[in-house]
Amino acid sequence: MNQIDEYKSVMSEIIGKQIVILGPEIAVLRARKVPEISLSEDGKVVDVKGDPDEVLNRLIDTYVELSGEIVTNALGTIFTKYPSIKRAA
Amino acid sequence: MLSGEIIFIIVLILSLYGVVVAISFFAVRRMKQNLKKKEIDARHRMYELAILKEISDRTGYSLNIQKILDVIAGSLNQFLEYSVAGYMLIGADKIIFKADLERSVSPQFIKDVRMRMLKSLEAILGVSVPDAQVEETITGAVMLETVLEPVRSYFNIPLVVSGKLAGLLTIAHTKEGLYKEEEIAILYKIVNQASRAVSKLEDVVRTEQSKVAAMLEGMVEGVVMTDRDYRVVAANPSAKEVIGYTQEGMPTFFDFTTGLKDTFDIKTKLEEATKLDKVLASDDIVIKGKHYEVLVSPVKANTGPAKGQILGGAVVFHDITHEKEAEKMRNDFTSMMVHELRSPLGNIKKIGEMLKSKEIVENKELSAEYVGMLYESSSTMLDLVNDLLDVSKLEAGKFDVDKQQVSIKELIVDRVKFFDTSAQGAKIELSSYFGERVPERVLIDAKRIVQVVNNLLSNAINFTPQGGKVMVACFMHKKGFNIDEEAHQQNIQWFDVDERKISSAISDCLVVAVTDSGEGIEHENIGKLFNKFTQFSSSIREREHKGTGLGLVVAKGIIEAHGGTIGLGSKEGAGSTFYFTINL
Repeated sequence: MNQIDEYKSVMSEIIGKQIVILGPEIAVLRARKVPEISLSEDGKVVDVKGDPDEVLNRLIDTYVELSGEIVTNALGTIFTKYPSIKRAA
Repeated sequence: MLSGEIIFIIVLILSLYGVVVAISFFAVRRMKQNLKKKEIDARHRMYELAILKEISDRTGYSLNIQKILDVIAGSLNQFLEYSVAGYMLIGADKIIFKADLERSVSPQFIKDVRMRMLKSLEAILGVSVPDAQVEETITGAVMLETVLEPVRSYFNIPLVVSGKLAGLLTIAHTKEGLYKEEEIAILYKIVNQASRAVSKLEDVVRTEQSKVAAMLEGMVEGVVMTDRDYRVVAANPSAKEVIGYTQEGMPTFFDFTTGLKDTFDIKTKLEEATKLDKVLASDDIVIKGKHYEVLVSPVKANTGPAKGQILGGAVVFHDITHEKEAEKMRNDFTSMMVHELRSPLGNIKKIGEMLKSKEIVENKELSAEYVGMLYESSSTMLDLVNDLLDVSKLEAGKFDVDKQQVSIKELIVDRVKFFDTSAQGAKIELSSYFGERVPERVLIDAKRIVQVVNNLLSNAINFTPQGGKVMVACFMHKKGFNIDEEAHQQNIQWFDVDERKISSAISDCLVVAVTDSGEGIEHENIGKLFNKFTQFSSSIREREHKGTGLGLVVAKGIIEAHGGTIGLGSKEGAGSTFYFTINL
């Protein structure tokens, strides 16, 4: 898996987790607020434009903006699966 | 030609009109759209303000999160269309799930909502949340098995208080794609604002609790404070000690009920105090070998709208173990004194009865012997009463000494001579020693110093076996030197008295010491010697020389009234040295 695919997978998993936490409608609506991400119907990231690190942070920020840091609690397990991708502090 | 121009002008005018109409139409439409948007925004804003006001009015932004969620869930129908609005609230030992049905849905619909909410909680908390912990309440429309519509739209709003997940608010509908981001965002805003308000309130409460905890921290009394639901809100280290709680953090109410099991029913007492609205005191409760006086009090709000309302309870454990021990010592002392007085009094009575006999009165030798015994017994009683009077003067601070220039050598020689007869009778060698530079005269109350020397010599002779030695030594102490070393340098019979090596700080003075080769005193009993209430019973000769022990208490008072110090050194099985100092 190349790095951009890894980023797509991480972002897809983050959206998937937020779907569980917040519900599918709002989780996908928030993800669509990040213009560099293209999503499939079921909320999977199919394309990422620009710096994937920045896009990833923007995606996380959009959820934090909505419901605070608590929703990022669940992201730790996702990042452990992708050691090459570091989450911004 | 003219008609062609006219037609052209007409067409031009019509076109311009059309353009104007079209522009106006679109402008009006845009205006209408803007107005509609503004109206919706205003409506949303109104709703937001109304619901926040309602929360404030109905809960006063109390710490009751459930009440806040009830208000939000109960007012949602003014703003959103939904089938079910519900919440889950994380409690200490359960999860409260409440769902309000706006319209009938199937039990499966509720089960699905409940399952989705649990999954959401699990994802945030990162731990499994068993369904068995959920306590469910359904309100509103009835559930119908026949309604087969599944959950097609839903969203959750996590409720976070002081950085911790407190619960979850959920909206669900049977219709698909129903909720717009704008509406969801407003609801998020409301919930977040309520969460922030509660968090702030919790911070204030936590700050106040930490202030209370800090105040309680240093208290000798054990203090436990509970809320109305018997949750421990404060417990100081002394309270933890009462129940033997050694772990970090706050003990639970259960820890207290377990720790006080069979000794003090804390819950019943708190209930009783709250019901009667008064402080209940329980005397002498024995908990883990210690005696406590326990006070249980209701805690009421004394300000604000809740003034007078019971907020919880407080339990204070006052350790009275020392008081109980002192009481026992006082009782023992009284018994001992009564016993000591009874013995010579009994003798006097018996002798008095005998002296009534004509036969004895006529027998001069026998009657002289009985009169002598009468004198002895009454002297013993008088000594005892004098000691008691001296002690009571000492305790009242009314003990005065009448100092005169007196020859200390003569005083000691006289006392040695006085005790020599009894020493010889006990086959004890009694001697005296005077060091160099001992002054001829010192400023003392001779009568009182005689009393001290008598006491020390009498004790030494009484507790020295046959063939033993008793020595009265008198030598000079120089500031900066150690008394023990000074005594050893002069080869005096001596047991070290300055264990803490502090005598070098004592100013130049005269040291008077009585050393015996008796049985010595156990180290742990040395401290008891100068205490009015404590007597130890280690002496093998106790039966022979049982006394009140007041002599040394009086001696200490006399020496301290002279500005000197009194003390002792002893070695078990070898002997003791009792010494006192006289300032020059």
